[in-house]
Amino acid sequence: MSTILQSLNLLITRGLPTTILLTLGLLALGLLLGFPIAFLQVYGPRPVRWFCRGYEQVFRGVPAIVLILLFHSGLSRTFHILLPAFVSALLALALRSSAYQSQIFRGAIQSVSEGQMLAARSVGMSKVRAIRHVILPQAFRLSIPSWTNEFSSVLKDTSLASAIGVLELMKQATLIFTRVQFIRGAQWILVILILVALVYWILTFVGNTALGYLEKRTRIPGFEMKGQVER
Amino acid sequence: MDAQQHRALSELVLRVEGVHKTYGDNHVLRGVSVQMRRGETKVIIGPSGTGKSTLLRCINQLTTPDEGHVWLGDCEITSPKEDINCARAKIGFVFQSFNLFTHLTALNNVRIAPMKVNKMGKAEATELAMMELERVGLADKAEAYPAELSGGQQQRVSIARALAMSPQLILFDEPTSALDPELIGEVLEVMIALAKEGMTMLAVTHEMGFARAVADEIIFMEGGLILEQGPPEELVQNPKHARTGEFLNKITELYGE
Amino acid sequence: MKKASLVILALALGSLAFSAVAETYKVASDTTWPPFEWADAEGNLLGFDLDVMRCIGVLQGFEIEITSYDWDIIFDDVGSGRMDIGASGATITDAREEKVDFSTPYWTSDQAILVHVDSGLNIVTALAGGYTVGAQVETTGAGFVAELIEAGIDVNLTEYTLYPLAVLDLINGNIDAVIQDEPASVASATAEPLIQVAGVIKTNENFGFFVAEGDPNGLLALINDGVAQLKALGAYDNLIAAYMGTDLVKVEAAWKASIGLLEGGDVAGFAAQLAELANQ
Repeated sequence: MSTILQSLNLLITRGLPTTILLTLGLLALGLLLGFPIAFLQVYGPRPVRWFCRGYEQVFRGVPAIVLILLFHSGLSRTFHILLPAFVSALLALALRSSAYQSQIFRGAIQSVSEGQMLAARSVGMSKVRAIRHVILPQAFRLSIPSWTNEFSSVLKDTSLASAIGVLELMKQATLIFTRVQFIRGAQWILVILILVALVYWILTFVGNTALGYLEKRTRIPGFEMKGQVER
Repeated sequence: MDAQQHRALSELVLRVEGVHKTYGDNHVLRGVSVQMRRGETKVIIGPSGTGKSTLLRCINQLTTPDEGHVWLGDCEITSPKEDINCARAKIGFVFQSFNLFTHLTALNNVRIAPMKVNKMGKAEATELAMMELERVGLADKAEAYPAELSGGQQQRVSIARALAMSPQLILFDEPTSALDPELIGEVLEVMIALAKEGMTMLAVTHEMGFARAVADEIIFMEGGLILEQGPPEELVQNPKHARTGEFLNKITELYGE
Repeated sequence: MKKASLVILALALGSLAFSAVAETYKVASDTTWPPFEWADAEGNLLGFDLDVMRCIGVLQGFEIEITSYDWDIIFDDVGSGRMDIGASGATITDAREEKVDFSTPYWTSDQAILVHVDSGLNIVTALAGGYTVGAQVETTGAGFVAELIEAGIDVNLTEYTLYPLAVLDLINGNIDAVIQDEPASVASATAEPLIQVAGVIKTNENFGFFVAEGDPNGLLALINDGVAQLKALGAYDNLIAAYMGTDLVKVEAAWKASIGLLEGGDVAGFAAQLAELANQ
């Protein structure tokens, strides 16, 4: 039992803060980058739209671990830029998340019905005003469910940062179980893995709950049943 | 000439000349011209696909005509020098599918344009919005969201939304076609009241009851052109073209008087 | 928010006592390999390799910062100079020499074969009877079995990212044997009643510490000299006595009790006490 408590303690004090920081950091950066990309992809001039689409394809198509290694080893070899491992992981994963997030926002913007834009323009709003006051508020609400998925997804991706030496949750778990198997036996590897799975699960649960609350707070009464009012 | 026309000032609120619009191979509008004096109410009828909606959208430039000019008062709004947003603010538009802003309450729907486009203060805009909602009979639904309103209520709110901008004229694009029969009446009531109050209105609709009650003129379109236009009784009793008579009979049959 | 363990911090502080401006070198180590390098229950990084390195640091007047690294990129990152020193029970091989420069050998090891107690396999049958042998990726053990396969011997290889996972599979019967350096194998067999060392293959592998190609910081000279000094002090033998074949929990306790001596600059004292306490 004390092994379990000791291990949990290590996981929570050493691994967890890094994982949380990495997750929140990369989501925030991904948002900062992904939203403008989505916006430009919907409203920008053609060459810009083309570029954004390319960006999206590239960073969604490359495996996260490859991106991480590119930032870590690639940059140092080619350009002699030595980033701390945490920063490499953060940037690589943020870039990737920005591509997924831009996809989410783009979908949300485009799924706001065309009639909304027409109505906004018909009362004299400029395109920019219409986007700001009519399209985006709706797109924001529409994007929450998908964004919740992105959160769950990137939380697990953060474990890839261990490959370049970032001491996050998974790496910490590895250090624990490689020791524990000598002291208590190899079956304890499974115990540690279950513990770390539990921690990840709790993180996911907390995040999803928070986002669910946000969704509820911003919900439009009857919005889901939009189809019903047409007739 | 009836009393309404006497009362109307002989000032042209709207002048549309020679509007053409082609979509792909389809030459939808083939040179349409319309004039509206202040206070006039005109109804456009015709078979579907004949460009009635397209015409309305060309007037407030939601669709850009390929050829032709539109004047709002003395201002040519088709000229590239004109700020189209400014012109649109003065033309109200009521859509067949209402198009209320789904994320806003009825009150916000009505007051958002006065606030954001006309830069009205919040208190003033709220007062104005409540007044317009009152006018369409929905002051008690100010805090409701569109999804909580019936079709007829939504359409009335959208009329209030158009009114809040103090438009010089209002365009109606089949305002009751998407409504259940029981709900049509409440919307037509509002429209009739508006016409009687002197609003300049151009409506695409097949509600002949409305046309008979308040229209100064019925415009019959077919094949992208105006075939015939004139006061309601004239067109009904003495249409110049057989086609006009045919069509009128058809819609009377289908939709009643 | 970095990965430095408390001890490194303490060590750095302690080092200030006798070196006003000390260079800090980044050490990469796959700390999942007792008794050479591992993390204790509080997250302190200890082990034979790491303590040798710490001692060398004290003797030569530099500080070290140890980072837990995955085995697969450790040679790339030390080779490129991103990390300064690799201390991770690394066997000197030609392939690796192309990426990094090694110190003179500081340890010789053989490979051992672990089997399940009920399997009745011995070292010969385990490797030629069509059985499956597990090994950690990119280790010399894995390389050994790969060569056997290439030579046409009837044996299969399954690779794992981590050695303990291979051991787990062996215990559960998913594989038939595990090949790994002798000290780790012995430690595993001691901890697990269900497995045993079937035998030792005399591969005579030499471990070396490693640095970037071309040794830009001139560290190899310091390291080699440091090892020599440790041996002269008798500290080297003490460290061996402390770590090889002892109970992990005892060593951990001994280390916590003794590390203060090293921080105070007393290399010989540290090693001696460590050996004593670990063998009680």
